[in-house]
Amino acid sequence: MSFTFSTFVQQIINGLSLGSVYALIAVGYSLVYSILLFSNFAHGGFLVVGGYACYYLLTQWGYSVPFSMLGALLASGLTAVVTERLAYKPIRERTPITLYLLIASMGVNIIIENLFVVTVGGRIRALPRSTFPTGVFNLWEGITISSSDVLSLVTAVIFLSLLQLFLSRTRWGLAIRAAACDIKTAGLMGVNVTFLISLVFFVAGVLAAVGGVFLSVRYSLYPQLGNITTKAFVAAVIGGLGSLPGAVAGSLILGLAEMLTAGFISSQMRDLVVYSLLVIMLLISPAGFFGKKISEKI
Amino acid sequence: MLELVNIDMAFGGVKALDHMSFKISDGSITGIIGPNGAGKTTIFNVITGVYSPTAGKIFLNGRDITPLKAYQINRLGIARTFQNLRLFTRSSVLENVMTAAQNHYINSYRENFLGSIQPAVKPDPKINYGFFDALLHLGRWRNSERTLKLNSLELLARVGLADRADQAAGTLPYGMQRRLEIARALALSPEILLLDEPAAGMNPEEVFELNNLITGIHKDFKLTILVIEHHMDLIMNICPHVICLNFGEKIAEGSGSEIQNNPEVLAAYLGTGEEEI
Amino acid sequence: MKRNIFLIIIGIALAFWPLGGYQEGIIILTCINCIAAMGVSILTGFTGIFTLGHAAYMALGAYTTAILTVRYGVHYIPAIIAGGFMAVLIAWLIGIPTLKLTGDYYAIASIGLGEAIRLIIENWQSLTRGSRGFPGIDPYTTRFTAVIIFIMLAIFTFNMLESNIGRELKASRDDIIAASLLGFNTPRTRMKALLISAFYCGISGALLGGYMSFIQPSMFDMMKSTELTAIVVFGGLGSMSGTILGSAAITLIMEYFRDISQYRMLIYGVLLVVIMVFRPEGLMGSRELWDFLKFGGKKNNA
Repeated sequence: MSFTFSTFVQQIINGLSLGSVYALIAVGYSLVYSILLFSNFAHGGFLVVGGYACYYLLTQWGYSVPFSMLGALLASGLTAVVTERLAYKPIRERTPITLYLLIASMGVNIIIENLFVVTVGGRIRALPRSTFPTGVFNLWEGITISSSDVLSLVTAVIFLSLLQLFLSRTRWGLAIRAAACDIKTAGLMGVNVTFLISLVFFVAGVLAAVGGVFLSVRYSLYPQLGNITTKAFVAAVIGGLGSLPGAVAGSLILGLAEMLTAGFISSQMRDLVVYSLLVIMLLISPAGFFGKKISEKI
Repeated sequence: MLELVNIDMAFGGVKALDHMSFKISDGSITGIIGPNGAGKTTIFNVITGVYSPTAGKIFLNGRDITPLKAYQINRLGIARTFQNLRLFTRSSVLENVMTAAQNHYINSYRENFLGSIQPAVKPDPKINYGFFDALLHLGRWRNSERTLKLNSLELLARVGLADRADQAAGTLPYGMQRRLEIARALALSPEILLLDEPAAGMNPEEVFELNNLITGIHKDFKLTILVIEHHMDLIMNICPHVICLNFGEKIAEGSGSEIQNNPEVLAAYLGTGEEEI
Repeated sequence: MKRNIFLIIIGIALAFWPLGGYQEGIIILTCINCIAAMGVSILTGFTGIFTLGHAAYMALGAYTTAILTVRYGVHYIPAIIAGGFMAVLIAWLIGIPTLKLTGDYYAIASIGLGEAIRLIIENWQSLTRGSRGFPGIDPYTTRFTAVIIFIMLAIFTFNMLESNIGRELKASRDDIIAASLLGFNTPRTRMKALLISAFYCGISGALLGGYMSFIQPSMFDMMKSTELTAIVVFGGLGSMSGTILGSAAITLIMEYFRDISQYRMLIYGVLLVVIMVFRPEGLMGSRELWDFLKFGGKKNNA
């Protein structure tokens, strides 16, 4: 009994840690969705760019950890902006059907993934262990928490708070929130929509890079790492696409569900539980926990 | 006969219809007027099953149709047009009408599991064919499609669109699109036809033609017609009976001249100050 | 009628033209891809229901047929048909609750459903041998079988689209509320489209198993589902001839780059983006091949 209880607590800790990484990524999905109403599957690609940028800055060029992190954030953010300008903007301007954006974003994801396969190879890499704290703390009766867990939790909280501050306190943050309600009206009110969308993609890319670095520390770095973001996407849907608190809540729920499944049923069932949760949530309430419902006038 | 009894329709806290009751007798033309937001289109949406009313009942020839779904109500013989056109814009004009015409249902009877005879509808055998006829283009497909096409072309000729049959519906001028919607509704061979602002966006000449078209089809197809309209000329010309709504309530009912001289009706219109009367 | 004769002539040419083994393989693969794409086209192009999970129905068809032929020694023709109907059965069970979702929500749900089906197949080790794959399938998908089934299904598809059911699907695609007010039982319409498309994908998967002699859950992942929808968009939503041409084109392009395999996926990704950016209406728009012949390309289908 005590064993199951300690497993339970352990898996809660692991789940929260995983959930916090999902949250960083899911918020990016939701942010883009709230403005452009499409699911940007290139998000996984942005994350991989961040991971590789950090890896090369650290190992090849020998920069310090903070500088490499910063470089990774910039690289992802810029990739996101360039993707938006080159691929999404022409489509947006031509058609209101978001499916085209969705397919294009899948294409971008495939491009980024395979650019890395072609240039640096599909080999699995690890960020140098020494650069990040690796200690494991024994909390109580075999329940442990690793430094990387603590670090990812803390970083997620910091970055999500920064995002919240940016959205609620700055002029452009307010503009983004206004655009999320009604982008056409925001444009008519004098907001530079093109710049605003670029900014949203930049922010989403930055958050993806943070997630990417943590995932490469936690697991390892390889071109297909971005596929993990499908789960963050599921989290964003469960929380309600377009809602930032929803994305965070959905991520924590998903992280917990995954780890509890792994602890008490079997780790092969993790993904099955994730996708079943997605479908069940959509059936109960398509708009998730926090999303807005839209109805049509006849 | 169509009868609404104490219909309430609320969206959230907003009452779009409040204790709405009226009877439409067979073969009549009834006009529904009222300021914007009075609940006119909501009445059509409730009758046709787009919304199910919060309270109250709707009877068609004595049968309670309130719980039925939109397509079931339609098959019982109620067809409508839309205030904001809802044509299949990418399909051809002919295809629009054929799409409706293939759904012609005829009244029939069905024995339920207790052995009692119930009124029901069944597909018109002259135009109906099954899945495998469709897959293999067998003889039944050929005959039914020919009948469908001829019937539809006839209807298009009736509304003056015969020469436009192969054009994409979305490329028709506005007034023609309105007439195509009427043709499409007629293709269902309804008993009751609901027209939602059929003259919106038409010039006076077109309104005059529409006037003749409505009275013409009313006679030729033995229809009961309900028409929502802002053009008071049209309403006064074709509707012997008029219902006036305001804020979801029926404020007056009677002949055209009665309505025009009703003080409540005048107040409703003057109060908003936007409508032409 | 002319069109069906044309299709039969193409079929005879594809089936009997003397070719080497490599070209034969490409023809079989093209037919298999076209069948699945036609299925998705019926659902996405003609009914307006976007799916990102139809590879799962291919998996169901492939595994059903493989298990029936290998484990139970069933002849491959009834086994292929059973594969199609297994996909239909599961699609029906799934469709009852999920088809009420509209727009993006159904597409998202279909990702979940597709992955869930794949994961169930992967975890049902005793029946499917899990992620290691299912080997030793009789190579029953000859060029002749693949071409015959493809041409037959293509004729059925075109016939169906030019009949009451085609108009029913298009009506619910273009305006589902208008469709229900014209007497269509629209939930049933959507279900019909899903079942038909699942059948096609099931057959396609069954043929794929017989062609490869080996199937694996990872062959039917979200990538494959996306590919099917992308092909339909590439061909032109609402154009069945576009779907077939697009599917054949993508299959051929991918085969052409097989030698430089590490660039293959890169090219595929670039292709997706370029098509979406420069020609989102696809190869054909919503027109069919013969519309160009009849009206000299002037028919206005805006």
